[in-house]
Amino acid sequence: MEGTVKAGRKPSSEMTTGKWKRAVAPYLFVLPNLLIFTVFIVVPAIFGLLYSFAKYDGLNPMKFIGLRNYTKVFTTPDFWSAFGKSVEYVVISVPLIYVCSLAIALILSRELAGKGFFRSVFYWPTLISYIIVGLTWKWIFSDSFGIMNYLLGLAGIEPVQWLTDPFHAKMTIIVATVWSRLGFYMVIFIAGLQAIPQDYYEAATLDGASKARSFWSITLPLLKPTSVLVVMLSVIEAFKAYPLMKALTGGGPGKETTYVVQYIYQIGFDKQDLGLASAMSVVLLVIIAGLSVIQLKLTKGGGAS
Amino acid sequence: MKSRNQLLLFIILIVLALLFMFPVIWVVLSSFKDKTDLYQWPPSVLPSHFTLENFATAFNKGNFGIYFMNSIFVTVTSTVLLLLFNSMAGFALAKYKFKGDNLILVGFISTLMIPLEVIMIPIFKVISTLGLFNSLWGLIIPPAATPTGVFLIRQYLLSIPDELLEAARMDGAGEWKIYWKIIVPMAKPVLSVLAIFSFMWRWDDFLWPLIVITDPKKYTIQLALSNFIGEYNVDWGSLLAMSVVTMVPVLAVFLVFQRYFVQGMVTSGMKG
Amino acid sequence: MKTKSKWLSAALTLTLAFGLAGCGQSAESSKGSGTNTSSPNAEASKDTQKKTNLDFVWFSDGNEGEVMKGLLKQYEEKNPNIKVNLVEVAYADMNTKLKTMISGGNPPALARVSDTSTFFNQALDLTPYVGDPNAFAGQFMDTLKSYYVTKDKKIIAVPLDVTANGLIYNKTLFKKAGVEVPTSPDKVWTWTEFEAALKQVMDKGGAKYGLVWDFSTHRWSTLLYEFGGSMMSVDGTKATLNTDNAVKALDFFVKLHKDGVMPTSVWLGGDNPNNLFRSGTVAAHLAGNWMLSNYKTIDNFEWGVTYLPKEMTRSSVPGSKFLMGFKNTKVEKETADLIKFLSSKEANGKYATDSLFMSPRKDNAKLDYAFGKEMFEVFANELAATPAEAGADWSSELANKFQADLKTGIVEVLSGKTTSKAMLDKMNKTVDTIISENK
Repeated sequence: MEGTVKAGRKPSSEMTTGKWKRAVAPYLFVLPNLLIFTVFIVVPAIFGLLYSFAKYDGLNPMKFIGLRNYTKVFTTPDFWSAFGKSVEYVVISVPLIYVCSLAIALILSRELAGKGFFRSVFYWPTLISYIIVGLTWKWIFSDSFGIMNYLLGLAGIEPVQWLTDPFHAKMTIIVATVWSRLGFYMVIFIAGLQAIPQDYYEAATLDGASKARSFWSITLPLLKPTSVLVVMLSVIEAFKAYPLMKALTGGGPGKETTYVVQYIYQIGFDKQDLGLASAMSVVLLVIIAGLSVIQLKLTKGGGAS
Repeated sequence: MKSRNQLLLFIILIVLALLFMFPVIWVVLSSFKDKTDLYQWPPSVLPSHFTLENFATAFNKGNFGIYFMNSIFVTVTSTVLLLLFNSMAGFALAKYKFKGDNLILVGFISTLMIPLEVIMIPIFKVISTLGLFNSLWGLIIPPAATPTGVFLIRQYLLSIPDELLEAARMDGAGEWKIYWKIIVPMAKPVLSVLAIFSFMWRWDDFLWPLIVITDPKKYTIQLALSNFIGEYNVDWGSLLAMSVVTMVPVLAVFLVFQRYFVQGMVTSGMKG
Repeated sequence: MKTKSKWLSAALTLTLAFGLAGCGQSAESSKGSGTNTSSPNAEASKDTQKKTNLDFVWFSDGNEGEVMKGLLKQYEEKNPNIKVNLVEVAYADMNTKLKTMISGGNPPALARVSDTSTFFNQALDLTPYVGDPNAFAGQFMDTLKSYYVTKDKKIIAVPLDVTANGLIYNKTLFKKAGVEVPTSPDKVWTWTEFEAALKQVMDKGGAKYGLVWDFSTHRWSTLLYEFGGSMMSVDGTKATLNTDNAVKALDFFVKLHKDGVMPTSVWLGGDNPNNLFRSGTVAAHLAGNWMLSNYKTIDNFEWGVTYLPKEMTRSSVPGSKFLMGFKNTKVEKETADLIKFLSSKEANGKYATDSLFMSPRKDNAKLDYAFGKEMFEVFANELAATPAEAGADWSSELANKFQADLKTGIVEVLSGKTTSKAMLDKMNKTVDTIISENK
């Protein structure tokens, strides 16, 4: 391990300066990030908040209308129906992604021939732009012209309405999501798994613990920070999901796979009502922030136990 | 017995990998198909004959050399900045208790929820005011403070024992030294991860370049790719070809950096 | 670890190198384009002449971007103090780009737009620059007038090309099935006859489907007008979506799907009709003249253009792309001059011929196309036979406010969630509300 620390102790005056330095240090460390973040995200977000109190189409001057947008948000069933669909999507896809990416990460963080190759294979889909992902999956799952139905037809099975039937469309989207995001979370898990000291496992094996036991008592608990990260990120990502659905089903059939962020975009840009879209974003943000806070509290700050 | 299990595992992996790769393989093969093959029914996997015409058309359509250079400049610079700033911030949030630390953390995470499109116009105003309009630096600086990166590093650093840092402090190390000489080396796995992600994010960035850049000479790859999508017609051949080409650098970066996941990590202190 | 610091320092050096290169690059380029500085004229770096830079935001569908570049080069040669910067953006991102530029205080000099109503208030009024406004507007097709001449006689844009919806069909399949297509406008099918013809092509010609139809309200409305309906009254004072004719039109559209003549995967599943038609397994595609340059490359079957069916009347639907200048750019005069050049008989004619578009100019009605001359004549004929309601509906700024909802409504009827009458009744109320809100 790197050892560049000096030997010897410091006199007490330097210790107090040291303490002061230590108190200031975190602020200095956070500063560059915080600065950029404030200028380029917080300031515009405050503007966004202002828009939520106005009627604004992005071009012509704003007209302040107080809380009217917010009342509209709470009385628009379409918004909540889109939100409900998002919740359904989150509840199904997040655990699926968690389990699958953890499983693959476990397999690929041991000694295994061709590890690098396999990792690249599972990571590759994350590199593909959503337009191409949509095109590819449509080629496979298109009702009339997709290869799935063609193969099913050869086997004498009735074609399935993969993209035009609401249930199947939702299923196809979840499969496409897991396919394109697995690699991302697999990589995060692999890094997290590497952080667990090997000696713990060795000690456990010496004590006669089975592989499964090691997993539940060592791996999972020590993986907690990573798990929290993966869950939070994938929940947020799932709520924000939009380009993939747009490319795959266009939000259809009709509105069946129009989730909440796509709905907000439609309000803001197709219907030119940026004020209402901002208000909806604020409501969504409050809900998600609330969820994140709860998650952090439940996991006690997300640290390892 | 063990080797039989290994073999079984290997076979399962290969099958999974093939299923996973199937759509990607189709994309790559399709980029070599001519127009008749692309629209064929029943759909084909292999091209009837390999042709490079899609690549030629795509390259001729614009200055792809310049777009590549722009993308590389933006991606590399932004990644370096991001690694530096995010690791500093992640370190502060993981290993220090200070006023406002939770607020900052929750603030960072919550803003992940803001759809960029909604705050696009104010962002443009900020960029314009700062004189970053039509400048590649407008693509480099703002995304260098991504909340995801900070969160990633923070979670990872939580596992580093505080005693290690205390010992260093006892021995007289200053905070910056602790960061630079202890934290950064230990964080190599997560920094490699972040480097891979950052490369991918900046390489695939679309909305920022769309908002910030107007001079075609400063276009990035993704911006140029989007021009293959017309109102009614999509130049699928060129789009596929260029998508395949743009996948290569990111994949290369991944292959290079994924080795670092393996590199040793924190031991509980018993081993050297 | 040593390798790590080496890597880091290498990266930093690389970054510095790139940074210097990049700085040099951006310093150079910011001298070149002067639109984002306070003075409209670029600082003369080495040129003795001051060049005025015009940012021209553009989107392409086929090769028209290249054609336009050629025309701009011509213009720059004749006007050496003007430099036009063609900013190419994807069609889907047009509004985003324009909105951020305009709201952010950096409007482009001009843009190619398909919808004149969104940027109504930010558009440059060209009236002071065109001489006699009536004579100027009189050069272009009358159906387009309401798109670019406002109620108070301001000219806020100039037509660049005009499009017509029409019927493209697979000649090979039709021949195989022994089905004839109408050879003249007085011999067109009724929709019932057309459906029967398509069914024959499916049975005898082996087509998988009879007809694919673009997933767009604009394209669907072709059927509406042919059945004698419309979205609003010609004067735009009331909604007309729930008339008997409208309901009949929608019912027929549903019938075509239920009978298996049209695949549900386009309107319900997002399948791309272009791809489907190109596979050679669909008998016809209801689209428009913009498909000609794309379909030109089809070599696995023969295809052609024929007349749309009628029910109560023949109809197509006009569409158009416009050149629109913007206010507060400080280069208004230069912009107007460029627009006048591009819409002149010669330049516009060349643009249309080379891009395979239809020209909106009355004196360019019969252009010498290198490909598909007869097809263009069919499209022109369709446009001429279009009732006034079509142009009135789609040139109204209200169309954008409800056309997406109408599309969703049609999808709901197709998926059996509601009936045509119920959906159209609801839409009608919505449109009436929109009309009254925007008086």
